[in-house]
Amino acid sequence: MLSIRQLSKSFRQPEGDIQVFDQLDFNMNPGASVALLGESGSGKSTLLHLIAGLDRVDGGEIYVGDYQITVMSEAELAEMRRQHLSLVFQQFHLISTLKVIDNIRFQAALCQRYDADYEILLIERLGLTTQLKKYPYQLSRGQQQRVAIARSLLHKPALVLADEPTGNLDEQSSLEVMSLFSELVKDAGSSLLMATHSRDMAAFLDRAIHLHNGKLDAC
Amino acid sequence: MHASLYLVIRAVLSHYWCHRWQTLFLLVGLVAGVGLWSAVQIINQQARLSYAEADSLLGVQAGYWIRSRNDTGVEVADYIHLRRAGFRQLFPVVEGEVSTQRGEPVSIIATDLFALPSNLLDVDKIDPATVWLDFVQPPYRAWIPAQLADELNLEKNSRLPLRDGRLLPPALVQSHAQQGRQILMDIAAAFELLNMTSLSYLALGAIKPNELERLQSLLPQQLELIENHQHLDLQQLTESLHTHLSAMSLLSFAVGIFIVFNAVRFSLWYRRPTFINLRLMGVSTRLLMTSVLIETLFWSIIGTTAGVLVGMQIGKLLLPGLSASLHSLYDATVNTQLIWQLDTILKAWGITLLGLCWALAWPLYRQLKQHSLASRVSEDEKQSRQRLTRAAVVLVVCSVLLYPYLQDALSGFLLLGLLLFSAAWFLPSLLALALQTISCSIPDHPFIARWLVSDGWSQLPALRTAMMALMLAMTANLGVGTLVDSFRNAFVDWLEVRQSADIYLRSSRVDFGRLLDPQQSSAWLQHSHRRIGVTTRWQFRQTLIRGVDKQAPDSLNLPLAQWSADSPAKTLALWRADANSLLVNEQSHYLGGLQLGDKIDLETANGPKSYRVLGFFYDYGNPYFQFYLSREEVVRQWPQHYSRGVALWLNPQNENAVLLAEAAMRAAGASAGDWISQLQVRKLSLNIFERTFTITAAMNALTMIVAAIALLASLLAILQERLPQFAQWRALGVRSREQFFIIACPILIFVTVAWLLAIPLGALLSWLLIHKLNIVSFGWSMPMLWEMAPAWRLGGIILLVVCATLAMTGWQLRRRLPDALAQLGEMD
Ligand SMILES: Nc1ncnc2c1ncn2[C@@H]1O[C@H](COP(=O)(O)OP(=O)(O)O)[C@@H](O)[C@H]1O
Ligand SMILES: [Mg+2]
Repeated sequence: MLSIRQLSKSFRQPEGDIQVFDQLDFNMNPGASVALLGESGSGKSTLLHLIAGLDRVDGGEIYVGDYQITVMSEAELAEMRRQHLSLVFQQFHLISTLKVIDNIRFQAALCQRYDADYEILLIERLGLTTQLKKYPYQLSRGQQQRVAIARSLLHKPALVLADEPTGNLDEQSSLEVMSLFSELVKDAGSSLLMATHSRDMAAFLDRAIHLHNGKLDAC
Repeated sequence: MHASLYLVIRAVLSHYWCHRWQTLFLLVGLVAGVGLWSAVQIINQQARLSYAEADSLLGVQAGYWIRSRNDTGVEVADYIHLRRAGFRQLFPVVEGEVSTQRGEPVSIIATDLFALPSNLLDVDKIDPATVWLDFVQPPYRAWIPAQLADELNLEKNSRLPLRDGRLLPPALVQSHAQQGRQILMDIAAAFELLNMTSLSYLALGAIKPNELERLQSLLPQQLELIENHQHLDLQQLTESLHTHLSAMSLLSFAVGIFIVFNAVRFSLWYRRPTFINLRLMGVSTRLLMTSVLIETLFWSIIGTTAGVLVGMQIGKLLLPGLSASLHSLYDATVNTQLIWQLDTILKAWGITLLGLCWALAWPLYRQLKQHSLASRVSEDEKQSRQRLTRAAVVLVVCSVLLYPYLQDALSGFLLLGLLLFSAAWFLPSLLALALQTISCSIPDHPFIARWLVSDGWSQLPALRTAMMALMLAMTANLGVGTLVDSFRNAFVDWLEVRQSADIYLRSSRVDFGRLLDPQQSSAWLQHSHRRIGVTTRWQFRQTLIRGVDKQAPDSLNLPLAQWSADSPAKTLALWRADANSLLVNEQSHYLGGLQLGDKIDLETANGPKSYRVLGFFYDYGNPYFQFYLSREEVVRQWPQHYSRGVALWLNPQNENAVLLAEAAMRAAGASAGDWISQLQVRKLSLNIFERTFTITAAMNALTMIVAAIALLASLLAILQERLPQFAQWRALGVRSREQFFIIACPILIFVTVAWLLAIPLGALLSWLLIHKLNIVSFGWSMPMLWEMAPAWRLGGIILLVVCATLAMTGWQLRRRLPDALAQLGEMD
């Protein structure tokens, strides 16, 4: 599903370059869910960005399914993201000027894989039935994150990339949201790579890996 | 593709639905800019159409005139004789003036309708032929142009009472005939009305050269054939005025676009997450760009439609005044009925689109092109400030390079534009400098004071575009205000000297010898000045050679702009002593290229003769050249001269001088309405003046209002953006008064800096307008009057505006803070 070979990436800064990854290798099977653990600043977000084609690598190769991310053009990357990926980030999760229901449908409508029955199922499971006509700012943060989850799964993407999806929530709602999220991803048949610094959250997934000093260790 | 485009556009545009304030401000900027611009375009277009119409005016169209050599008029018998000789192109014209009861002069033009060559009067446009008989039979008919009838409150078939108690023939109001502001009637009616028995002149329609020669040979001794010089190209004459207006409107448009830019900056800021979100979901840059272009198109269509509609309204308000002053300045009749013109709308759409591309599409594009989506560095305020400053330096260099090549109104306005924009782009750096200086000099101690200043840094990015718009509006206000004040000042001074006589009498029927006979007039008359003139062409422009009385009071005090001897007084003395010396108006210097000491060769009846230029006198607002010679010289060299009337200075010792003068004038053959008192002249001149500048003042005020709106928009946007932060401060125990100060203080600092910059810039602007643009476009200059009072006044007004916007902001803060505070608790 996802395979990374010899990945290296550094950021050029006035104070000197920051080497985030050096010769990193990683593999993930279809349908698997993996937690990416690591200290703040260890490069978790950077890795997700690179996989989504939002940033360019310095060296190495990244494959998502049959696509080789590292050689694709901007337009091809956009098409790939639309069809096969979904991203759940800590911020920028929703379009604030669209109603909840429009937010949920957005990517599915974009890649024309809209499934009304599945939509009803998702909305019910996430407890959003009464919130559909509201604007995002009228919801609590936990509810907003549920909307983001519904949106990320409605088109049944091959791979879900999540970056600290519960980072903004208190512990109780984190746990609730996380268990729902991992379940729904399984049901959708998608793979999940989730960055987090919390082992509690990592426990919901199949396995966890640890990012440290630009290297990955199983744990 | 279509489905996803629709989705994306909906997401992108939904912003405007959710942030209606921003939408409103964007619209206000657009509509104000486009509205002001198109108002002027519509006015200019209207004027041009009217000029084209005026070109076909009765009498003006004639290529030649036949006049009598001694100004006694053309005998009817001579006319009949010539027509019998086969000159069907000849038609008779009687011109005269009568006064209404209120003393307003009304021009009369009369002709023989049946003799008119058919192409000269558009018969189809005139009422049906049944009226024609009424026209030539008593009580006759007076054909009055609709606009004039309106001004005179005249209805169909009513008769206008005149000052001497008589009545004009029944009115026939009509809007089409080519008669300008003149009242058209039959020759017989005019003879009766004006107490005349001879024709003013004969006009000649199209004629072949050999026919012309035959006519010349047939002409009786006392008549002469002259080429019609009155056929003026109004378009050319008024071009600079229209350029001037266009430039003003472009300035308003620029201020409007600044506001749009300002609104767009905020909308971009708000929509940044949306754009990123869309890209994360796999929307390609191309699709986003397409949607942005569609958004631009959308706004341009809305802006153009609403703007042109508003422009029509503004045009309707301003056109009558402008039309009146065009008439008094250039004798140009401008129809006040506005008409739609497709190409005005298309042009408006074009510049709106251009403006929007700059203000909306380009910044959006830049945001989309930002290399990495994951990038953490947002746009660096300092860097963008430096970029602006560099651009400003480039503009300054360009304008310095352009300065020597200044030669017409267009390049002049280009220079002004460059300077204004460069000043606007310098402003952010100046504002930063001001903050820096103040924070260095402020003591550490009252903590709040430091905070006030330091918070300025966070407001600077949001406020700077609004400050630029405000600064531009202030500069334009001061600059144009100074121009108008200087003009008024110079004009009043000039009237004082140039029109110092108590009464001006102009009539072709007056026996001047009798009127001015010293034995008869000594009781009431102190000085008199009989003026004669001949019209010729010099350097392709109509030129009046005036024969003046060099000893008359107004000649003795003629205000000179440039002189050749040591002083104006000495120059005037030299001129009096030498019959071969000339004084000419400034226009002949700036537009005709004459220099002091130059010799001009003039064609006289005795062959070419050359005259030397001793000085240039001020001659405000005159589109023609004027040369001053002594009366004796003009009589000697140009026998065909005609009377330009007489100026009378009354005896101040005699209380009854006015009555005596009027009696004497009547006795000499003048009738009421032939003369006008100094008071009336001044009132008339000042009226013309004020009317000419109403449009300027109106544009100025509107621009100012638009800038104030920009300020309010920015303040509200800042409020919206920072509300959570303000709520947090409040939660930390900051009092509401302190909070208000924190918002108000930086704004007051910024506005002060903008005002301080606007003062020298305004002076520079008016200096350029007066000493460069006025000269290159109109050919006359004037002393510049610079005073601080208008700047203080403007400062006061701006302070009021700022206070009003701050009050509104404070009110919004008070209204919305409770909600924000409540949300504060909910979040964490
Ligand atoms: N756009 C960027 N420019 C410069 N440095 C960056 C950028 N993005 C990330 N970094 C640096 O790369 C390192 C890894 O960051 P990140 O991937 O965000 O870590 P994490 O998500 O694990 O907290 C950090 O040291 C961070 O400062
Ligand atoms: Mg991170």
